[in-house]
Amino acid sequence: MRSQVYEWSNLATATATSTLRRTVDAIPQLVPVNREYDIFIGGIGNNITKPAETTATQFIVIEDIACSAYMGGAVQVRINTTDYFQNPDVTDQSGVPGLASPYPRGSSDIGGAAIAVAQVDTVQLLKSFDLYPDVYVLPGQVFQILYSCQTALAGAAAGNTIVVSAFVKYTLYDGPDALIANKLLELGVTINPNNVDWYKRTLIEQQQRSRVAATATNGGSA
Amino acid sequence: MRSQIYAWNGQSGTAASSWTNTNTGTAVSIFIGGFGNNITKPAETTATQFVVIEDVAVSPSGFLNSGNAAATAYRGLVAGAENGVFGNRAYIQVRINTTDYFLDPDNVGNDGIPGAASPYPRSTNFQPCFNLYPDVYVLPGQVFDALVTTYQNGAFDGAGTAPALESSTLYAFMKYTLYDGPDALIANKLLEMGISINPGNVDWYKRTLIQSQTAAPMPTA
Repeated sequence: MRSQVYEWSNLATATATSTLRRTVDAIPQLVPVNREYDIFIGGIGNNITKPAETTATQFIVIEDIACSAYMGGAVQVRINTTDYFQNPDVTDQSGVPGLASPYPRGSSDIGGAAIAVAQVDTVQLLKSFDLYPDVYVLPGQVFQILYSCQTALAGAAAGNTIVVSAFVKYTLYDGPDALIANKLLELGVTINPNNVDWYKRTLIEQQQRSRVAATATNGGSA
Repeated sequence: MRSQIYAWNGQSGTAASSWTNTNTGTAVSIFIGGFGNNITKPAETTATQFVVIEDVAVSPSGFLNSGNAAATAYRGLVAGAENGVFGNRAYIQVRINTTDYFLDPDNVGNDGIPGAASPYPRSTNFQPCFNLYPDVYVLPGQVFDALVTTYQNGAFDGAGTAPALESSTLYAFMKYTLYDGPDALIANKLLEMGISINPGNVDWYKRTLIQSQTAAPMPTA
């Protein structure tokens, strides 16, 4: 099991709206308002080669999501085709606002201001949202982190573009850890590194007990 | 067992060994990369050592909007280009032997933890939203490294020279616990048992050993 992060920004080159991995001195790209963009393969900013998905031997637990607090930014989690965050009337919503889960932590809620205004800005936002319980991505599922903004990313001066970013922190369980994660899910136990370790210990203890029992049955010989 | 840290400053040392714009886009080791303060040989564990890496961090970045002139400062970070990114846009990756620890969801190694998620130094302006848990274990005989990559040129307020703004210096930080001698043996045992390796659990294992010895019947004279 490994702790993992993925950071997305609307930064790409002068000739492309998206790039695989990151590029030096990248330029901010416009993100159309009120549309959801997959931070992995959405075609804006730094992307990866294929949709984010788990293989048959992987299990992912998403533990935190965050995005820029300005321009009405929000992040939604989608598993296969189902959005995780919904309104009380079970209609769609844009997800967790950057104001509730800002990235970077301590950043301001003004992104498009002139530099003179930004330099005297003293707002340091803290998070008011904690992704708990965590979101599980079961083996074979596709997951998306969708970023959307409500205000155009136009900067203070004409032609300027605002830089926005999003962040996801998750733990990847693979191989035997993924099997244990599935077992914990069946048992209704929360999947976290501590509980996976606890399950391993119980397996080892069971093995030891059965070995002792087998030795006793054989009259003391192994 | 000993709590250890390694702090790296990309601008320390001579001008020739200071981090410059030519390194932008390249992953450089904070131990033996040839820039800033380095050590004499690759970081590795001996047969009687066990290292648990508990935190990694690197200089933070700030995001604003493009068009601000280069060398403009925002919250102590310098804009290198006019692209709205302030600071070095730095990332730190952990490598064990030849394997990168942090991967993208497509299972390709990435640049690691962004300084915006795990900043060093921390401040009210730049707070962490990443916690390295579960920890990273470096088993006996393994080589480990921390690689810093930056994607922003000119964020030092003077390439290759001492920066005017302290916080635009490229820093990296690693916190780890070194278990050696019998503690390393216990750490290996805990690993076999599927128990998290931390000072509390190592002490617990020692106590159970002592208790089992104490509980054993005394030999007759």
